[in-house]
Amino acid sequence: MIIQGLVFYLFAALAIAGGVLVISAKNPVHSVLWLIVVFFNAAGLFLLQGAEFLAMVLVVVYVGAVAVLFLFVVMMLDINFVQLRQGFLHYLPSGALVGIVLLVELAVVLVGWAVSGEAPKSLAAPAPELAKMTNTEALGHILYTQYLYLFQASGVVLLIAMIGSILLTLRHRPGTRHQNISRQVDRHPKDTLEIRKVPSGGGI
Amino acid sequence: MSLAMSDLTLALPELFLAGAAMLLLMLGVFRKEDSARVVLVLALLVLTVTLVLAYGVTPKTGRATSFGGLFLVDDFTRFAKVLVLVATAFTLAISRTWMEKEEIARFEYPVLVLFATLGMLMMISANDLMALYLGLETQSLALYVMAAYHRDNARSTESGLKYFVLGALASGLLLYGASLVYGFVGATNFETIAKALASHHAPQGLIIGLAFLVAGLAFKVAAVPFHMWTPDVYEGAPTPVTAFFAIGPKIAAFALLVRVLTGPFGPMVEAWQQLVVFLAAASMIVGAFAAIGQTNIKRLMAYSSIGHAGYALVGLAVGNREGISGLLLYLAIYLAMNLGTFGIILAMRVKGRAVEGISDLAGLARTSPMMALMLAVFMFSMAGIPPLAGFFGKLYVFLAAVNAGHIILALIGVLSSAVAAYYYLRIVKVMYFDEPAEALDRPIGPTLAVVLAGSLVFIVFFFLVPSPLVGGAEHAASVLFH
Amino acid sequence: MMMVLAVFLPLIGAAVAGFFGRFLGDKGAQFVTCAAMGLSAVLAIPVFVDVALQHHAQTVTLFTWIDSGDLMVKWALKFDTLTAVMVLTVSLVSFMVHVYSVGYMHHDPSIPRFMAYLSLFTFFMLMLVTSDNLVQLFFGWEGVGVASYLLIGFWYERPSANAAAIKAFLVNRVGDFGFALGIFGVYVLFGTVHLDTIFAAAAGKANATLLFLGWELPAMTTLCLLLFIGAMGKSAQLGLHTWLPDAMEGPTPVSALIHAATMVTAGVFMVARLSPLFEQSETALMVVTIVGATTALFAATVGCVQNDIKRVIAYSTCSQLGYMFFACGVSAYSAGIFHLMTHAFFKALLFLGAGSVIHAMSDEQDIRRMGGIWKHVKVTWILMWIGNLALAGVPFFAGYFSKDLILEAAYGANSLVGQYSFWVGSLVAFLTAFYSWRLLILTFHGKPRADDHVMAHVHESPPVMIVPLIVLAIGAIFSGAVAYEMFVGHDREAFWGTAILVLKAHDSVEAAHHVPQWVKLLPVVAAVAGIVMAYIFYMLATGLPKAMATAFRPFYLFFLNKWYFDELYDFLFVRPAFWLGRGLWKGGDGAVIDGCGPDGIAAITRDVARRFGRMQTGFVYHYAFAMIVGAAVFVTWYMFNRVG
Repeated sequence: MIIQGLVFYLFAALAIAGGVLVISAKNPVHSVLWLIVVFFNAAGLFLLQGAEFLAMVLVVVYVGAVAVLFLFVVMMLDINFVQLRQGFLHYLPSGALVGIVLLVELAVVLVGWAVSGEAPKSLAAPAPELAKMTNTEALGHILYTQYLYLFQASGVVLLIAMIGSILLTLRHRPGTRHQNISRQVDRHPKDTLEIRKVPSGGGI
Repeated sequence: MSLAMSDLTLALPELFLAGAAMLLLMLGVFRKEDSARVVLVLALLVLTVTLVLAYGVTPKTGRATSFGGLFLVDDFTRFAKVLVLVATAFTLAISRTWMEKEEIARFEYPVLVLFATLGMLMMISANDLMALYLGLETQSLALYVMAAYHRDNARSTESGLKYFVLGALASGLLLYGASLVYGFVGATNFETIAKALASHHAPQGLIIGLAFLVAGLAFKVAAVPFHMWTPDVYEGAPTPVTAFFAIGPKIAAFALLVRVLTGPFGPMVEAWQQLVVFLAAASMIVGAFAAIGQTNIKRLMAYSSIGHAGYALVGLAVGNREGISGLLLYLAIYLAMNLGTFGIILAMRVKGRAVEGISDLAGLARTSPMMALMLAVFMFSMAGIPPLAGFFGKLYVFLAAVNAGHIILALIGVLSSAVAAYYYLRIVKVMYFDEPAEALDRPIGPTLAVVLAGSLVFIVFFFLVPSPLVGGAEHAASVLFH
Repeated sequence: MMMVLAVFLPLIGAAVAGFFGRFLGDKGAQFVTCAAMGLSAVLAIPVFVDVALQHHAQTVTLFTWIDSGDLMVKWALKFDTLTAVMVLTVSLVSFMVHVYSVGYMHHDPSIPRFMAYLSLFTFFMLMLVTSDNLVQLFFGWEGVGVASYLLIGFWYERPSANAAAIKAFLVNRVGDFGFALGIFGVYVLFGTVHLDTIFAAAAGKANATLLFLGWELPAMTTLCLLLFIGAMGKSAQLGLHTWLPDAMEGPTPVSALIHAATMVTAGVFMVARLSPLFEQSETALMVVTIVGATTALFAATVGCVQNDIKRVIAYSTCSQLGYMFFACGVSAYSAGIFHLMTHAFFKALLFLGAGSVIHAMSDEQDIRRMGGIWKHVKVTWILMWIGNLALAGVPFFAGYFSKDLILEAAYGANSLVGQYSFWVGSLVAFLTAFYSWRLLILTFHGKPRADDHVMAHVHESPPVMIVPLIVLAIGAIFSGAVAYEMFVGHDREAFWGTAILVLKAHDSVEAAHHVPQWVKLLPVVAAVAGIVMAYIFYMLATGLPKAMATAFRPFYLFFLNKWYFDELYDFLFVRPAFWLGRGLWKGGDGAVIDGCGPDGIAAITRDVARRFGRMQTGFVYHYAFAMIVGAAVFVTWYMFNRVG
């Protein structure tokens, strides 16, 4: 248990430190890299809770897809971060004040709760028995029965996001050269390539 | 836990709407020629059918849940859904001409409206914190896109981005609150939460969670201090989108707020009442004062809607049956007033170019007297001048506040109405007493004319037969307090 | 029914012409109002015969107006001889003026409005003379005031007309204030405003007192003086006369009808009507006499040096009103009313004649730029002669009978004030004749002083203007002789009945018939002397007026400037009032009330609005920050306010 505790605090501390570095790093590329560190640590925390599926999904989706996408965006867009940061010091005191006040208050409330010991009483039992099935099975079980509505709703949300991104960005510019994959795939070497035997020393 | 047929029946309007929206999307994508108008007309048809379904779906016991308690249908949701669907259908109908004249009519717009409406219906029927969040996001995501819909217009894109960023922040606050609630109660289902709170002493953390939850929802109804996106977004978004934003989503958000506060947190009424009183008072005051200096009529309407949100929140702050029924009535009347006003704003075109300055209305009484008269009636109604409908909306909420002993809140309401009357009447003054600016284009088109006439008739003659609406609102409110 | 119709027909005419003038057109409006007015005048004759000659005095009650506690006021038309005389005079003269206006105003763009006002005025005037209680009287009184205001300012695009209208209205307010106080006082003393009830009780209250702010005032004197202030305002008596000359800014028919023949005589009528009250107060009668006589003198002196044809006649009116008042003051009410009646004819004639002259002279009003036109406007010239002969009191014209009788009555009153008014009146008779002939000679005789262009255009007025003049001229010639016996002769007691009350001790009219012969002759001699002097001054020795004016420069200036009344009032009232008004407006209303009230609140509102506006910066992170602060405030609130 002690080791588990130590690992928890290690992951947690690293995640928080990573978070701070995400917003304080001067180079945006570094920020994204620090974000990846945060994701890894969060995955580690999931793992500690026994949610190995979520941990893996976090690594695959967030690190593998989202963060890499971010990285590309940041690298391809020419954002002048120095300019964006100019107000940083100016707003730091008031922002920090509000943040600290909020943090202290939440800490007071949460610590008070933990001490009172009422928490476990109102904790609902996990719906599928984790002992009987694997993590993935359990999730699937819940998602497609009890939370079918939510699952479908999420699908709608993603659909809307897709429509939105297409609507806002897709342009049909005449004259641009698009890659037509099916045509590319459909092409046969013999349609395009003509192999000639060139007799050596003969000339064309 | 298996899916029963009754589950699907209860959600029939939503299912139909979702399916139809996707079909229309396919139609738009695969139809070769320009299909904007066809899709729009079909979307209107879909909304009408959904309206009939939403009105027709009545659980036998008056209240039923489905999908494992995530989805709820009762008379309150029916009332709210009918309002939302009416608002959406009308705002969609009056958008067509404007979009076509601005040459941004595309089939995605009606589809997005349908999805946003789906989100609103889901919000109204939410019976679980997770269902709440997903409904909210379904709606919001569609709205973000709609705000930026005019993608070649810098202001439109800017407003979409602002709305998106701030909306994400609001979602964050809401989710944080929801997670706190879950953490402290151990449940996300509204009924379970209500039961737990009724039997236990509410821990302080839960109240904090509630505060975050309310903050997130207050963003959606544009209550002060979570209102600041409204003026910029309303001004920047294309006018039909603004009209859409101002009515439907606001009603849905109110329904959700009412449901959350009276349902799961009903036992904690003393706790959230203080928050809502603050939101209501601040919204009324800011809505009244900040609008005074405005020169853009869409921006003015944004502040106006903030103020109206404040008046409606007074009904919620009262927290009893009378207050909620006042709120629902207020929303219904607000729908008609805003529909009419935005109808006029949509008709504001000079030589084919859309204008939105208040000064563009100068001397309208002489150039198009009928329009001026209608807008004057709408403005008088917004200002709450009897015997127009707007007066009764205010009367009912203020009466509820006074009866419940919230004298100061009612007083703030009355005083801020007086201040707000200034800017409403200023528009009337500009139309009737200023030297005429360039005349607005005519004709305004049959759809717009019909919608305007309908709003006008409702507002002017509401006081003759108020009982159907008042009775409906009272009944809808009564099911929240059994 | 006849009586009611006679009173209300002008109202109907006014309403039709006023509200439907646009549809009726000019001709239609003229026809409707003239027809209504003519019918009313025709009806007035049988009413006069019935009431005055056959002594059937009666009261027609229409309906209850006010019934509040002790106060009971009815709409009722009281017809006795006094009323009948007034109704006949008013409706007849008014009808003539209506007809005359058709010709005189034919260039005007708003004829229906003019005709409607004229008829409306007539209705109010008839209402005034037929009222059977003080409140109704006041209604008519204010009604004619309004109509007068509207008509003086009829050409509202002229600033001078507006100023004159406002002046008339304001000066009349002073009088009306006194009148209203008088009515209140009567109600306090008698407990009613019904005239007959008051008259019946008047004798018993002769020595009653009123307590006001701890002062014990003799009730009758106080009330009569207050009511007399009202009469002074309306009848332009010295002190409150300043509006009348300015009122000549109105169209000439208006001057003839309102500011000569009818409305301005309302004060005289009122004093005569309230004779049972005035008879109870020697002091009040004395004041009436002195004010009347002094006004007569004042106006006559001023009239001698004026150069505007209408103003001369206006001052003449003012002067003649003075005669009427001092007649009433010496209890010769019947003589006052007699003069009122004859004066109505010849003064209307003079004004309308003057209008005809002005018409002929292309709107020239200054008699210094006229002269020598008698050949071109012979009919007008003759009519003006008749009018002036009547005015000057040359024997056997109407004015001779009434004016002589007034002077005889003043002498016969056998009192100090009576003597004063007699001598002043005789002097005024001389002055009247003088300025009348000055006017006649300067206007019609001598060499033309107008430019050739104007002279070429001099023309006789159309028949529609001349015929009314002829009717009035007939009245100016014969009305005195015909009515003499009835009004002030042997039949007078039977004629007046109870309409006028004169105490036996005050019966100066009776005494007038027994005065020495020289008293009877003096006014005629004075008149002839005045005529002769005017002839010398303006026909024979034309340099004399200028020499006189230089020799007696202070007097000349004093008269020319109307005894400096306007300047005095300007100094005493107008400027302090403006000063006070400006002070209260800028300091009191502007700075204090507006500053703390509407303006202040509006300024605060704007300021708050600007602050809210400034919060809306347009930066997303500001908005986000506001949201976070909002959430933090919520949380903090619940940290310190534990609920539930």
